[in-house]
Amino acid sequence: MRPLALLLLLLLATATLPARALNVGPLETMPVQEGGRKKPYLVFAQENLIGLAGRTSIPLDGRRQPATEVITTLWLTPEGTENQPLILVENLPLKRALRLDVTRKWFSRQELSTNLPFLALVERAAAIRRANRDVRLTGLEKSADEVAARLARFDRLRSGEAFRIVANPAGSEAPWSVLPPDDPALTALRTAFQRGDFPAFQAAARTLRDTLAAQSPAYQPPAWKIALEAAYTHVHPFRWAWILYLAAGLTLALTSLRGRAPGYRIAWILAGLGLTFQLAGFVARILIASRPPVANMYESVIWVAFGAMVFAFIFEAIYRPRYFLLAATFAAILPLVLADSQPAALDASIQPLTPILRSNFWLATHVLIITLSYAAFLLALAVAHIALGKIILGRTPTAALYNYIYRTLQVGVLLLAIGTILGAIWANYSWGRFWDWDPKETWALVALLAYLFILHGRIAGTWGGFGLALGAVLAFQTIIMAWYGVNFVLGVGLHSYGFGSGGFSYAVTFVIVEVLFCAAAVIRHRQLRGRPSPQPA
Amino acid sequence: MTVAPPAPLNRREMIAERCRRSVAWRIIHTLGSLKLALLLLATIALACAIATFYESRFDAKVAQTYIYKAPWFLLWLGVLCVNLFAVTLTRWPWERKHLGFIITHYGIITLLIGAVIGSQFGFEGNVLLRKDQPPTDRLVTSRSVVQIQNLATEAFEVFPFDAAAIRPSEKRPRTFPIPDSTWQLVIDDSAPHLTPDDRLVPSADPAAPAGLALRFSSGMMAQDLTLPLLAGDPASRERDFFGLARLRLLDALPTRLPLKLTESHLILARYAPIVQGEPGATTGVTATLSPDGRTLEVTPPDGRPTALALPATLGRPQTLGGNTTVTPLEFWPDFTLVNGQPATASQSPNNPAVLLRVESPRLPAPGQDRQPTLEIALDGDRLAYQLLRGPHLVSRGTAAPGEPIRLGWADWIATPTAILPHAGIEPNLQPATPAQGGPPGFRAHLRGPDGQTTPPRWIASGDRADLRSPGPDIRLSYGLESRRVDFTLALTDFNVPRFEGTDTPADFIASVRFHDPATGRTRDDTARMNTPASWPGGWLAVTTGLNYKFSQAQWNPENLDETTLQVLFDPGWLLKWTGSLAICAGIFIMFYLRPKKS
Repeated sequence: MRPLALLLLLLLATATLPARALNVGPLETMPVQEGGRKKPYLVFAQENLIGLAGRTSIPLDGRRQPATEVITTLWLTPEGTENQPLILVENLPLKRALRLDVTRKWFSRQELSTNLPFLALVERAAAIRRANRDVRLTGLEKSADEVAARLARFDRLRSGEAFRIVANPAGSEAPWSVLPPDDPALTALRTAFQRGDFPAFQAAARTLRDTLAAQSPAYQPPAWKIALEAAYTHVHPFRWAWILYLAAGLTLALTSLRGRAPGYRIAWILAGLGLTFQLAGFVARILIASRPPVANMYESVIWVAFGAMVFAFIFEAIYRPRYFLLAATFAAILPLVLADSQPAALDASIQPLTPILRSNFWLATHVLIITLSYAAFLLALAVAHIALGKIILGRTPTAALYNYIYRTLQVGVLLLAIGTILGAIWANYSWGRFWDWDPKETWALVALLAYLFILHGRIAGTWGGFGLALGAVLAFQTIIMAWYGVNFVLGVGLHSYGFGSGGFSYAVTFVIVEVLFCAAAVIRHRQLRGRPSPQPA
Repeated sequence: MTVAPPAPLNRREMIAERCRRSVAWRIIHTLGSLKLALLLLATIALACAIATFYESRFDAKVAQTYIYKAPWFLLWLGVLCVNLFAVTLTRWPWERKHLGFIITHYGIITLLIGAVIGSQFGFEGNVLLRKDQPPTDRLVTSRSVVQIQNLATEAFEVFPFDAAAIRPSEKRPRTFPIPDSTWQLVIDDSAPHLTPDDRLVPSADPAAPAGLALRFSSGMMAQDLTLPLLAGDPASRERDFFGLARLRLLDALPTRLPLKLTESHLILARYAPIVQGEPGATTGVTATLSPDGRTLEVTPPDGRPTALALPATLGRPQTLGGNTTVTPLEFWPDFTLVNGQPATASQSPNNPAVLLRVESPRLPAPGQDRQPTLEIALDGDRLAYQLLRGPHLVSRGTAAPGEPIRLGWADWIATPTAILPHAGIEPNLQPATPAQGGPPGFRAHLRGPDGQTTPPRWIASGDRADLRSPGPDIRLSYGLESRRVDFTLALTDFNVPRFEGTDTPADFIASVRFHDPATGRTRDDTARMNTPASWPGGWLAVTTGLNYKFSQAQWNPENLDETTLQVLFDPGWLLKWTGSLAICAGIFIMFYLRPKKS
């Protein structure tokens, strides 16, 4: 009988474990100091899980666990977490080299820390870095080094040292500390968590948060900022933006291209709502970070989508041809979806500015204007896709459509010229020289020259509207290079604060698809030209 | 719109007419043609694009030397200027609609002229400032130069030369004339890193000390290098071996305690053990014997006890933690002394005892160095050596030239290659891997008019070396050119604020004091990220660029009392920013303020 009783007891115990996703409740808005700023616990948890696992929620113990739950478990009941598959190992060659199961994405600390080839690679990476501090790791060492950084993060979380929640009475910039393990509020929280007692846990969380906030009220971050950031994180304004743009684009494509109909108005309203969400997202980020929202790749991608939409609204208001709105919704969806779905490559976290960018004036002028020019070129690219798409479908675009491309390119050229020159003037102050052929500078110039080439060829009559449309697509590849390629492929030069890795195959696919699309358009264009043009009815 | 001047017939016809009549106009229209503009735009864009890949593959200097600052590229930019200027003339007589067009194109020309002025008369460099240093008036330019001085006539000449950018090779050497001589300096190789490779040479001086050259090789590290040691001054007697070990040449080998500490323990089941060992040292090993005499439990100083079965383990060395080895040597079930010798009284375990030998590496004293050392003393044409770990002896031996010594440091082997009774050390350099580091440099030799050459020699950036030849003897210096300015600057303070709760710098703030010894004027300014310090300062100097600007460039995390500032003196600045402004304004006017066509 005794084994049966034990089994029953065990069953009972498992039944009381949290069966659904844990809601950490008041803990979400508890400030934590990390990475040079204070953020709500919710954001801390999400950023840390992205840092560990590349996602904001992961499948664990047979169900999807949100970041708050995973991180809280690491904090309060770390026993056994070293055997949980929490650490992302993505790179396929690395998995092969380490003899890991290539079908798995996440591995446990235990698996990695006992993997001898992995330890050897990490040691080699460390040796390379010791010899030359500025060296850029490549290949397996680089991937292993990234995984090692995740392990280190895991250890910081597991040991509790990452949870710096106790304000420092020495000043607002002073380092915060962790709670002593025997702190009564923490013990209460842990006990409730272990028992899976939700009401008790929430009550303990509230007590803990409020006790901590009362300790050094002068050095707590403003409550509205923390609440705003938590709300921003919950709402996902940029996700809503692309959903609304998609709705607008579909409405437009399905209804109003066949004539002015209520569909056009509905599309305007939907796109306007999307833009409002995006604007709200930007305002939130600006208020949280106290700077223009263009400091990293993620922010610039979002900003370009926004810019393309704004330009489309302006042009649409002037010309009302529907093309701009249609083109812009799809031009904006692509970067927004990319930003939403690639949290590991496009880091959405809000971080303090590197010293070199610490100038809101120049950030707001040079960077905003340069990225706005990318937005205009993105819009031109999308409108050109409509024109070339028509040709591929066997129809001849109107002169007006070509003129729209020209108008959009003009905006881009003006902004790119201004932005590049502002960059040179900023460099003159910040780096002590006006122009020195840094790869980012050079590619901005190459892009400018490419677009000037297209505009001058049009003026010279070397090509007409079709050439312009083709040029708008092909020249955009220089923007891809200036924007993404310099930071992620070349990886040299002074704009190193924006360097990253990943997405190379996406970028190459994009370029190849675009070139094939142009080739198809050229072939169709030749065929159509050879044929007598049909008289419009 | 204002009333247009009485237009001669038609603009297009008029232009055709003037081209027919005048060769000059024809040339202007050709030079300013859109076809040429398209060619220029495409080629410049392509060249720049290729250059960035060059830079990623090699480095920025290579891209600059072969593309951005290559004569052909500058010439091409010159053609661009001509094209830009000619195209504005082709629109003559200008009308209001040309306003934006002309402003833009002249703006580009102005900007490019500004760039030429800046690079010809301007100055870019840096200065390393330390808080404890007196004010300096020396700035280091970013231009590498070679200075050749004829030691006989003291005539010297300076040539701009950057080995990292030009990359001379045996196929494509660079030559420089030696002043007051028919000889030449030939540079035929370059290296991104040079490391010292001093050589042992025989000396004719009978007072010169004895010397030893040791070749170190490691298959694992794929390394092979020779180090010289001299029995002279203390500095040449000792060498550091990559931080891995030390080499020491001595007159005689001192006596060292062996690393292995040996003790013998007589362990009795019923009484305290009797331990014999070196006075003042202990292995820290303790052992107990079970009352039946069948199990010996041995405990190393910081490990878990190990049980040894008796008499099965007799005579078998057992390794415990911490490299300790114990060997049970003898066992007596009923221990007694017969004639002073241990013996057993019976076979029943009345008084079991065991004799145990314990060998253990000497425990380092707290804070004591554990670094390995190779100590050598010369003995005629042989050498005696001893290998130490910390202060303790690991092994010793003798070797003659050509006989390898196993060092026990990874797989390193040392082989004496020369033992000289009187020797000297000749400083030398050799190319190194990036991991070894070191300054960049080049390989040079002298060549006479009849083709005779001197042995090649590596010269590092920042170095000065004397090269001798049957012809002239020269002094060769290589490095960044420095420049004296007519004011001094000193670092009065340097601050690196951090992001809250981290060690990541949030800014770099250098307080600099400028002083003009001629006028006695002193000015304090701060250079922080995005806000440079300047001298002489003031709006006029700032807008014209006749101003030295000091921006934060580098810092040393290990020494917060020093900082490196980037220096810029750019007399082309006025043209650069006015040209830039004109370009932007011109494009705007062209695109958006054009008079509507009537």
